[in-house]
Amino acid sequence: MNSDLILVIVVVTALAFDFTNGFHDTANVVATTISTGAAAPQVAIGLASVLNFVGAFISISVAATVANDVVDAAVITPTIVFAGLIGAIAWNLVTWWVGLPSSSSHALIGGVVGSAVAAAGFDAVIAEGLVGKVLIPALVAPTVAFVVAGLSIGIVYRMVGRQRPGPVTRGFRYGQVVSGGLLALAHGTNDAQKTMGVITLALVANGTLGADADPPLWVIVSAATAIALGTYSGGWRIIRTTGTRIIKMDAAQGFSAQGAGAAVILASTHFGFPLSTTHVINGGVMGAGAGKRVSAVRWGVAGNIVFAWLLTLPAAAGIGAVAYGATRIFGTGALGPVLVALTTVALIAVAFSRRSQQAAPLPGGVGG
Amino acid sequence: MTAASIVQTRDLVETVVASFVAGVGVTAIYSAAIWGGARFVDLNRSGRPLAAGFAAALGIAALVGTAAAVTIGIVVMTHK
Repeated sequence: MNSDLILVIVVVTALAFDFTNGFHDTANVVATTISTGAAAPQVAIGLASVLNFVGAFISISVAATVANDVVDAAVITPTIVFAGLIGAIAWNLVTWWVGLPSSSSHALIGGVVGSAVAAAGFDAVIAEGLVGKVLIPALVAPTVAFVVAGLSIGIVYRMVGRQRPGPVTRGFRYGQVVSGGLLALAHGTNDAQKTMGVITLALVANGTLGADADPPLWVIVSAATAIALGTYSGGWRIIRTTGTRIIKMDAAQGFSAQGAGAAVILASTHFGFPLSTTHVINGGVMGAGAGKRVSAVRWGVAGNIVFAWLLTLPAAAGIGAVAYGATRIFGTGALGPVLVALTTVALIAVAFSRRSQQAAPLPGGVGG
Repeated sequence: MTAASIVQTRDLVETVVASFVAGVGVTAIYSAAIWGGARFVDLNRSGRPLAAGFAAALGIAALVGTAAAVTIGIVVMTHK
């Protein structure tokens, strides 16, 4: 009974994380589309939500690798997963609050690593997995996206720079709708699977599923729904940062950034290299700016974003460890997770109510 | 623990190369489509139908190439 209650709490928390993942990462998919006027904000977000939902059904190959490659599966318990999710949700909300596009995937991995270390010590961490599957891709992916977008925008300006701007801008705006759609599909495929993986991990740890089981249909449907709803809610603060604060973007730059992002994400999907969509898109945006003129990038904003990336793993790990410690104060039963979950919900409710009082609308009457 | 044992170097290099080819390639092809469309309109207006036809053909071919690249992208996603 106790373990089933903990499992229910883990599943609900995982879906809450999935919602924040969609909410936080909406900017990855729609920021450039909205900022260049390629699509109206609500249209772009509606389309992104639908494609995120569809993308979640495309593949389940990433789902199994979320935590298994980074943390020793033998030490994982539903409470560790729960505390890791609390770390990830908390870090996602902190970075949303300050408008920084950090990686939800790294927050999740950091949270689970932190809670696992708090529970079983540093031996629980698979160092090779952490370096090879998380840290090196985190360096390589945004760098490649930066260079690809920079080269692409150089080619674009050479090819169409002397044409009349009207048709060129219209052409790239149409292109952005397609490249944005591809990104949304890829995002749903990558990120919804992480929640499926976490729920499946908890079901396996609880003995509900066998060790090699695929995510059940209800897990896939609920994860797809949560990320789509989160995407539809739209994290406007981060959309502003990615869409307007890193560079002042034209349609060709938006297309180059999205094209570079989609290429890197799909190439890494094909060759089985996990990465953060956030890192890739923001690397692409910076590259598209620098490819036009190095001073076109607001390097102060870019520096803050990279600082948030560096901080994500240790910060989420720290919160995950504290959350695990807090649950253990009340023993190994369900009381600890229940109290930590209620406390987290209360803190989020306070934060959101304060945020809604301070909300400043975007140009065009969109805010949040 | 060596770098080679941590990272599958071949996969990494293939990912980087494929990203460059796909990212730069698709953008260049789509730019050719836009160039073709824009030149078609201008050349047609200035009474040069042959050159306009060539620009339109290039633009259409590039658009088909872009559509093929997007289709390949979706196939990559669905086969993983």
